[in-house]
Amino acid sequence: MDFRRKSRARTVRKPEFENLEIQYPHNVALYRMPPTEDIKIHEFEELALERLKVLRIFEQASSKSLRFLSDEWKEFVNAELSREGLKGYLRLCTNSSANPSTDNTKYEHELQARRRDYISHFILRLAYCRTEELKRWFVTREMELFKYKFSSMSSADIKHFLELNKLEYSPLSEAQKDSVKDGLYESTVGQSISKIELLDFYKVHFTQVLDLVRSRRCYLNGGFAYVNTHDFVSIIAVLQLNEIEHGLQSAQKLIREVEADERIFHLLKSLHTSYTGKDYALSKQGNVPPESLDQLSKKSFPICMRNCHEYLRSNHHLKHGGRMQYGLFLKGIGVSLEDSLRFFREEFTKKIDAEQFAKRYEYNIYHNYGKKGSMISYTPYSCLKIIQENPVQDDCRGCPYKTSDTSALKVKLASYGLSSTHVQEVINYVTKGHYQLACGKYFQIMHESPVELGVHHPNQYFEESQNLMGNRTAKKAANISQRKPLKRGASDNSKTLDADEDDELWNIAETQESTYNSQQAEKSAWDEDLDLTAIDC
Amino acid sequence: MTEEVLKDEKTPKYDPSILPDMLPAYYKRLFPHKPFYRWLSYGLSEANIFANREFSYTLHDDIYIRYRCYDTQSELENDICSTCPHKIDIGAVMNTKPKNFRTTSTAMQPVQRELVFDIDMDDYNDVRTCCTGSTVCLKCWKFMALAARLLDAALREDFGFEHILWVFSGRRGVHGWVCDHDARHLDSRGRSSVAEYLQISSNVTVNGAVVARVQIGERMHHSIRRALKFIEPLFEEIVLEDQNLFGDVNGVNKLLAMIPDDMARKDVEAYLKKTNSDGSNSRTVWTSFVRYVNSLRTGAASIWTRKLKNIIEEIQLGILYPRLDINVTKGMNHLLKSPFCIHPGTGKVCVPFNCNVAAKFDPTTVPTISQLLQEINAFDDKSKSKENGEEEKSRIKDYKKTGMFKGVVVFEEFLRKLESSLKTKAIDISDQTMEF
Repeated sequence: MDFRRKSRARTVRKPEFENLEIQYPHNVALYRMPPTEDIKIHEFEELALERLKVLRIFEQASSKSLRFLSDEWKEFVNAELSREGLKGYLRLCTNSSANPSTDNTKYEHELQARRRDYISHFILRLAYCRTEELKRWFVTREMELFKYKFSSMSSADIKHFLELNKLEYSPLSEAQKDSVKDGLYESTVGQSISKIELLDFYKVHFTQVLDLVRSRRCYLNGGFAYVNTHDFVSIIAVLQLNEIEHGLQSAQKLIREVEADERIFHLLKSLHTSYTGKDYALSKQGNVPPESLDQLSKKSFPICMRNCHEYLRSNHHLKHGGRMQYGLFLKGIGVSLEDSLRFFREEFTKKIDAEQFAKRYEYNIYHNYGKKGSMISYTPYSCLKIIQENPVQDDCRGCPYKTSDTSALKVKLASYGLSSTHVQEVINYVTKGHYQLACGKYFQIMHESPVELGVHHPNQYFEESQNLMGNRTAKKAANISQRKPLKRGASDNSKTLDADEDDELWNIAETQESTYNSQQAEKSAWDEDLDLTAIDC
Repeated sequence: MTEEVLKDEKTPKYDPSILPDMLPAYYKRLFPHKPFYRWLSYGLSEANIFANREFSYTLHDDIYIRYRCYDTQSELENDICSTCPHKIDIGAVMNTKPKNFRTTSTAMQPVQRELVFDIDMDDYNDVRTCCTGSTVCLKCWKFMALAARLLDAALREDFGFEHILWVFSGRRGVHGWVCDHDARHLDSRGRSSVAEYLQISSNVTVNGAVVARVQIGERMHHSIRRALKFIEPLFEEIVLEDQNLFGDVNGVNKLLAMIPDDMARKDVEAYLKKTNSDGSNSRTVWTSFVRYVNSLRTGAASIWTRKLKNIIEEIQLGILYPRLDINVTKGMNHLLKSPFCIHPGTGKVCVPFNCNVAAKFDPTTVPTISQLLQEINAFDDKSKSKENGEEEKSRIKDYKKTGMFKGVVVFEEFLRKLESSLKTKAIDISDQTMEF
């Protein structure tokens, strides 16, 4: 029995609340022990996708060459986190902690956020333990997340963290510090001399701060490094790194058992390449007539699609993979079903007769637009998916930065009008395997813009290009919009919406449709013949 | 042993074609097997530390065999004497006997391995004028001596390492073997960090030529300050006098290429031309350069007080700071040539030298295998005649009768210290565990 004195104004706490507090006592966790609670399968999936979004944001930040933890980097990450609705993670990273005694609900949200963070980490371990490449990606991203969280902690928080994790580090005494102060002043990078006087320093074996050693950012003597609190994160980071790597290795050994469950198997297998960005299934504005494709392909298409277009024009044919890749892209940029049919028919019938075209290829196009068969409007391929393809000879698809050999690529880029310096800039990325960066560089060159685009989807490339050229005006000014209705099988009626009045309706409808589409896409992913999201791990 | 070698009373010339005939005698009589074993067994302080060590041999016709391992000194000695490899490489101590790598259930992995450094004169070609290609002389050797001393100090002072063996690589470079327990157990991330700590220059291409550039930044790290303490006193002697690096138009251009700013470079070029310092001799060029820079870097705010504040020091470091082959240090499994091998090209013994007096080491007088064998034979003849034709079983090891002697002494001194520290450690451990 809990006797509470009525005079004390005690906040009412739910029992689960207290439990959460005990389980997740700090914003920053080392993820030592796996969670033991039961969760529903849909929460399992939800948590996994949520964390994946977070990690993808970190990846984008690094691909934008922003210096890690610089102001621009933090600005970008924070903006993306809130834009994607990842407020929980945003708070964990920026340590905008709520005081439990004053703001109860906020504190509860925070505990929930910690819980989600904790559990999702372990879920993703299962998805990323399979291959060396996946492991490396996961570890890099997780370390970025960890260091961000840690760097936002106050000294009191750090102390609490050290206690919770039973880490015995104590700062140098005044006398000890005094004896090495010259070395500290000289060799501690990143802090002013006055700051060095004030900060706590820890003496640790150099093997614990290899990052600082390698970049000569600390005083080193007799095998020991003298590290201040700000750089302390390096030490703890090593612990975290080891913990995660160890965990991944254990996961790898157990993964077979976990995969015995079909539902989990499917989710984990496709997770890394699942597309968590914008859904380009719908194009919002402007009907793009096929007549303009020649021009558009030169101005606003990434080279994967420009390739397909040119191949189609010269060979009057595209194999299945190419038709899927290019056809869906066209849908995404705003080519209507009728126009798409017309366009492909025009080209193909230069080699085969109309009847053959109708028999062999028409159905496929209807299918892509969700008019036949499973009635699902498929989403255009993202860069990740395209890069993974392995086209053979005469199969125009995949990412040309990857599939073309360097000399052929150089010739092609030159033929598009790039100067040799520019060609070299693009090739530099290609040779290092950074295909998406090469595409972003191509974008920058073609548009003569300082904008460095982080390309992750061909339709995004197109949209950004059109935006830059002023063709895609803001939503407000649109007066024609093409919409695919939610109902199955309903015919397409182009409605003229007055942009001002129906913005909100539009947003709601679009969100609904994109959720519906992605759910359907997920379900249909295991169709034998139209496998959009399967990957080989 | 062919007759031709013995004919000359003077120093016999090394002939690579008869190397295979000389190696058997070398390995039998001169190679210091016992000290070699003492080194790599590390007092048997850890389980299987000798048995799991990988050795690899390069035989005649570049035939290469790996995964050799031995349980005892005599096994190793016998195999070396019967195989007579042209080169012996020392690999890592593995988690299993290297020869079993195909049959073990778990993948074979390195468990420990000395921290090694490789410095080659070839990497200094852009800053040496006295020799080219594979030749080396006392002048350019100074680069190597300086590099070894500097690294030695850094490894001892900053990292606390104590047992470092410096070996002449047989032609024009040096190898450093750090044999402390902690060094041996560093993983590849650790090695990579140490290597990067010690590598302060990066190569940039200026007008088609590669230039080693150093950036000091706001504050000078203590390791860089120490490096300058080694380098500054020798800069004049090595760069200005011996190499006369800036003594012609090319040289002046090299100096200009070391300035990381186009405008500044043009200003310096103009100043040097104006004061007729270009192409006269290195000393005048350098003095002019220093005068110019000093007047500017203590003056009004400009690039010379900011980005180029430390340009003089940066140039000195760029030329003289040790140029490591970083990949050798990073890999835990990198097979490195063993001390006391014979370099097939020069015939010289890869002999250890004392780093503290590295400047006194003369690579041009390192004995070749031909010399050594001649010395042995001469000694034998002498002792035979003394003992009335009876062959006295020499109690003095053969290698101590030759020009190799000094190198072996250095090696044995290194071993003595190493073994003493291993003993102390063993005592500490047994004290803690109270074992007798």
